Amino acid sequence: MTLFLETFLAGLLQSGIYALVASGLALSVGVIHIVNFAHGEFLMVGAFLSWGLFTLLGMDPLLSAVVAALAMFAGGALTYRTTIKHVLLAPELNQMLLTFGISITLQNLALLLFGGNTRVVNTSYQGEAVVLFGLSIGLTKLMAFLLALVLLVGLYLMLYRSKLGRSMRAVAQNRLGAQIIGLDVHRIYLIAFGIASALAGVAGVLVSVLLFASPAVGLVYTLKAFAIIVMAGLGNMTGVLWASVLLALSEAFVQTYIPNGGRMSEAVFFLLIFATLVFRASRGAR
Amino acid sequence: MTPNHKKHLMLLGIALLSSASAVKIGALIPLTGASSVSGQAQKNGLMLALDEINKAGGVLGQPLELVIEDDQSNPAKAVPAFTKMVTVDKIEFMVGGLGSSTTLAITGPAKQYNTFMAWSGAASPLVEDAMKDYPYFFHYHPWAYYNFEAILGFFKNLKGNKKAKNIAIAYEDGPFGSTGIQDTVNAFKKAGFNVVLTEAFKAGSGNFAPLVNKAKTQKVDIFYWVGYDVDALPLMQQIKESGLDVGIVYGAPPSWPVNFEKNKLAQGVASLTMWTPELPSTASKNFVKAYKAKYGNITDEYFAPLAYLNLKTLAEAINKAGSLNKDKVAEVMAKSTFDTPLGKLNFSPSQKIKYQGFKGSNWVTFQFRDEKRIPVFPLKVAKKTVLYPMP
Repeated sequence: MTLFLETFLAGLLQSGIYALVASGLALSVGVIHIVNFAHGEFLMVGAFLSWGLFTLLGMDPLLSAVVAALAMFAGGALTYRTTIKHVLLAPELNQMLLTFGISITLQNLALLLFGGNTRVVNTSYQGEAVVLFGLSIGLTKLMAFLLALVLLVGLYLMLYRSKLGRSMRAVAQNRLGAQIIGLDVHRIYLIAFGIASALAGVAGVLVSVLLFASPAVGLVYTLKAFAIIVMAGLGNMTGVLWASVLLALSEAFVQTYIPNGGRMSEAVFFLLIFATLVFRASRGAR
Repeated sequence: MTPNHKKHLMLLGIALLSSASAVKIGALIPLTGASSVSGQAQKNGLMLALDEINKAGGVLGQPLELVIEDDQSNPAKAVPAFTKMVTVDKIEFMVGGLGSSTTLAITGPAKQYNTFMAWSGAASPLVEDAMKDYPYFFHYHPWAYYNFEAILGFFKNLKGNKKAKNIAIAYEDGPFGSTGIQDTVNAFKKAGFNVVLTEAFKAGSGNFAPLVNKAKTQKVDIFYWVGYDVDALPLMQQIKESGLDVGIVYGAPPSWPVNFEKNKLAQGVASLTMWTPELPSTASKNFVKAYKAKYGNITDEYFAPLAYLNLKTLAEAINKAGSLNKDKVAEVMAKSTFDTPLGKLNFSPSQKIKYQGFKGSNWVTFQFRDEKRIPVFPLKVAKKTVLYPMP
């Protein structure tokens, strides 16, 4: 029973970071209707920011998260203003090529600046644990999960309880209609893309503590975030939450209960995606 | 033609002449990708050797030119990089090499182009198989079975002195981690250990919680993991957080993350190396001095001195042979004994190839202790006794 509960908890804690990365991606897909292949690289920039601030100034990653959020919001807004804005009406393939190009550029810039080495952030609370009901919970993971939870609650409150959120949803539903009633669509897109990038930046800071910073670290998360938003239904923000939990739990349980499950955990999740897509398509076809 | 033009033309002529008369050696190393930490150490070692060789008069009285290509730790990139060096740069002598998979990928082209391979990397017996009849393959790095003997020796010592009997194995599911894993399990069992867990994981996923939780259901004395540097911190973090009661964690990655030793989670983790900067031999001390003078610091990566001696010994052999004739160079290499930072080097048959350099007597088990790598086994080179159980 302890093993079952520990596995459940491990999966649940892992889902926080997945949800954080995927929500940003879902925001850009849902509101701006742009598939941002560079989302994982924004995360990588966040991870390097955290590593840099820690190495140069000894800054705690919790504090770096604030810096990364602000810096990546600005970075995202700049990226939108200088590149994305100009391809919004272009064919989807052009948009994908653009974001793909940004991703490759950022990865190679990181390689040029920092080399391909794995870099780690050393904090005093790494490896510490709190014990609840006899279960050992990693402090870093718990903090990452709680931070992700706070940010996600904030994001949902913003989307569903604020004027800006209402505007975002209006633009997402009908861009032309929103323009007609006087909404500044580009301003809203800029803010949405900035928030999406900031979420990736904060996720990057968490990744630098939980894993490492390296030019390729974003790739794994881009793949998982795409899987999650596909599973949730493109642009469906609430769906992202349960899809993240499902991904993390399926990974944890397959790894624990199937011998050599580490090899199969991703395959199982992608099988789930196939099943969901086929089920949705067949339901739509009827 | 203005005097300026003439000057440029003259400089161009000199440049062309010097490149035409220089002796070229190629190096294929991973400057990026999974093995980049070791690859960059290799590059530093090679450049230091190049400086020293050229200061001492070069090769066959001409300057030595080193052409370095990045294999990106990727077999698909290694083959075109290798082919470019032998066809475009017309290189006939190669040094370097690190990963087994990248080396395996170029064994075909190497034989096809009859390239002289003074090879510092690759531990997989698959490479040994592929190169068994090739007359120009001089392999410096020990094969995996030599490495494993060294690891097993340390574990047997722990069994005798510390009553460590139960081993949990975590291995990455790519070719690096999973090749021969069943043989490893069998060898541990044969040596009287209980293998209580054998689990695969995805390198770089960082998701070790389920694996470690599973290990917690057993009594684990030795946690043996085969993976990459990217796995080191997440694994140690998970082991500590879960409260897994383990005697020692023994890792076998090709390299460790930058500044891993400074992380408190590294304390007590053990691993294998062929060299530490503290080795007392004169050759090693000279290398450390020269390395510090050139780079301002010293590395812990054994691939730096290995690459250094790799290029130095090849240049020495060519000079002794007095020509670039591969048969003559091979004959000299086969007969020579070289004094290197890693100890005496001579080439003798291994299980399958004719010219094997180091055979595992150089392997040293070290433990990360107080931000340093401290040799703890074999006892004749140990600086401290092993910390068991680790903190």
